[in-house]
Amino acid sequence: MNKIFAVIRREFVERVRTKAFILSTFGLPILMVFVTVVPVLMMKGTDRTTNIAVIDATSDSVGTRIIAGLERPTFKEGGKPKYAIEHIAPTGDVTTLRDSLLKRTIRDAAEPLDGVLVLPEGVLSGGQAEYFGTNVGSLESMGDLQRILSSTIVGTRLERAGVDAGLVTAAMRPASLKSTKVSKGMATGESGEASFILAYLMGFMLYISVVLFGQQTMMSVIEEKTSRIMEILASSLRPFEMLMGKVLGVGSVGLLQMSIWGGTIFLVGRNRAVLANLFNVPVETMQQMPLPNIPTELLIVFLTYFALGFLLFGALFAAVGSMVNSTQEAQQAVSGVVMLIMVGFFGVFAVIKDPSGGLGTILSMIPFTAPFVMPVRWSMAAVPPAELAISLGIMIAGLLAVVWLAGRIYRTGILMYGKKPSLREVWRWVRAG
Amino acid sequence: MAAPAVRFDHVTKRFSGHVAVRNLSFEVPTGGIFGLLGPNGAGKSTSIRMMMDIIEPDEGSIALFGSDRKGRDLSARIGFLPEERGLYKKMQVLDHLVFFGEVKGIGRGEARRRATAWLERLGIGDWADKKVEDLSKGMQQKVQFIGALLHDPELVVLDEPFSGLDPVNSQVMKDVVIDLAKSGVTVLFSTHIMEQAERMCDRIVIIARGEKVVDGSLSEIKGEFGGRHVALGFTHDRDRASRILADRTLIASVDDYGASADIQMTEGADPEGVLHALVREGVGLSRFEIVEPSLQSIFIAKVGNAAVASRTGEAA
Repeated sequence: MNKIFAVIRREFVERVRTKAFILSTFGLPILMVFVTVVPVLMMKGTDRTTNIAVIDATSDSVGTRIIAGLERPTFKEGGKPKYAIEHIAPTGDVTTLRDSLLKRTIRDAAEPLDGVLVLPEGVLSGGQAEYFGTNVGSLESMGDLQRILSSTIVGTRLERAGVDAGLVTAAMRPASLKSTKVSKGMATGESGEASFILAYLMGFMLYISVVLFGQQTMMSVIEEKTSRIMEILASSLRPFEMLMGKVLGVGSVGLLQMSIWGGTIFLVGRNRAVLANLFNVPVETMQQMPLPNIPTELLIVFLTYFALGFLLFGALFAAVGSMVNSTQEAQQAVSGVVMLIMVGFFGVFAVIKDPSGGLGTILSMIPFTAPFVMPVRWSMAAVPPAELAISLGIMIAGLLAVVWLAGRIYRTGILMYGKKPSLREVWRWVRAG
Repeated sequence: MAAPAVRFDHVTKRFSGHVAVRNLSFEVPTGGIFGLLGPNGAGKSTSIRMMMDIIEPDEGSIALFGSDRKGRDLSARIGFLPEERGLYKKMQVLDHLVFFGEVKGIGRGEARRRATAWLERLGIGDWADKKVEDLSKGMQQKVQFIGALLHDPELVVLDEPFSGLDPVNSQVMKDVVIDLAKSGVTVLFSTHIMEQAERMCDRIVIIARGEKVVDGSLSEIKGEFGGRHVALGFTHDRDRASRILADRTLIASVDDYGASADIQMTEGADPEGVLHALVREGVGLSRFEIVEPSLQSIFIAKVGNAAVASRTGEAA
């Protein structure tokens, strides 16, 4: 038992000490805080008034109304107007006029413009308004412009048709839809978007880390084989001790990393207000960031399935590592295992689409796919506790079977050099002794 | 009487069709230095691997310390230096040795203390916190050697311990091996360098093509071969000797160096007859001496015979 612990400790300590581990483990949370805060900071940074020249060729009052509509919105803080409008009466050729105005959009012009809005005659009856600007790439600005334009035109049309002005205002008030996730018959206060992101993020993290740490386990077995350190190990340790020590050692590194990452998302999600204060941005803006709140139970389910899934695939990766002699050979041999992982990963999408569907339920009962599918299901829908228990039971039974199988392959594989064994030979190793 | 440290009993091991070790039996008595000799591919490493329970014999059995437990269960009492040296390249030397100690069942603190002492003794104390990959090959071999001795084993099994070492380091290792033997540890080492075995071993086994060809204490073996070895030195008319040296009724084998030759008489042949014949032919001699055979010549004679025998059909 102490010997297994020595192997676990060696795998763990040697891995945790590497620069790669330290960088990825702490780099990601920093990146996470960064991507949460920076967009908010950036949005805050754009409260600059946009200068627009409006060439108003309309003969009815709609042009004036559009201009008034544009001048109305202000930024939240300070009451600064969003748009500064310069009203240009159309003299001569509109295109020439427009082109001369566009010269002012270069940066160091005396009276700089961001864009020119051309309202042709008959804009009310379906004429095309045109906007020429340096900021057309900004979806937000263009959306805003479009909204003001269309609501003013539609409002004007209705009034012209004799609808009461008050009624128009009331009718034009936007209808909004806010989606909230329901879990265990209760609203969670989590938006649909956040819950999708959470599910996707979990599936992705599980996939990446199982592949990554699984490959590491395999590489480490191959290293022991090629460096022939295997002989010393094999003369002192049981193959099963070597296999379990290695898988548990690498797995605990993975679990540590997942816990740090998961924990960061958890903490960032819970402490948005603190972060908002820290970076001096409005709390509401911070709340809008689609970063999920991770419930504690979910964190536990996630880490449990990660641990079980990793042990399962880690043992398989180790068995593959024991069968081959070089990294190149391993790439081929490992494709079967990677396939299994892919099935689980794609299963995540099926579950995201329909968390309570038959496919999702079946996938969460298969030991190879459950580690990916179950945490995602748990996050998307209410999973009955009995189902969770059955899934865990099957998972553990499957794990034991796989570890037993891997142990048998490992026992023979680690001391085999030369030709890569055929599947039939591997089967013989399993059955022998 | 104490049980032998190692006992091979009719052990056979086959690898995909070819026989690596055939019906091998020998005993390594407790204490002293035992040499397992043989040419490359004779089955030395295979025998050692079976002894260490890394692979299992197909037939026969191997007992260690007279116990019926396997090599791995007794690994705390055995130190092992494999032929193919292997270390974790990225680990620090001291950490690595502590790990070796741990898998042999000693505590971390104790392992650290002993490893430090050994590193000092072998003159690489300054390298304790360096990575293994920064060490020269010779130093890595010393580290591996320490790894085999860290847990104070009763039996030390060294597979080609001196290969790849310069003369100075080779000397250091030899001194350690001699000291171990003096302190009562049984040392078994394999080599194909006969001079080394001749100077160090109390007992030897020579195997060739998986079979035992010589077994016994060095003095017994030499005694058995003694009196039939003649060292010749030529001054002139060397070519006249050729016919006599080719006479297989008289001379079993010739190790020809041109100006000199070591010959081995056939059993019952009289060295004086050879001298007589050489003088009669007019061969100029500077030396004619009946010598104790070197292990090298015994090895060549025996292994050469085995090679011939197995090629012509079946050996004993």
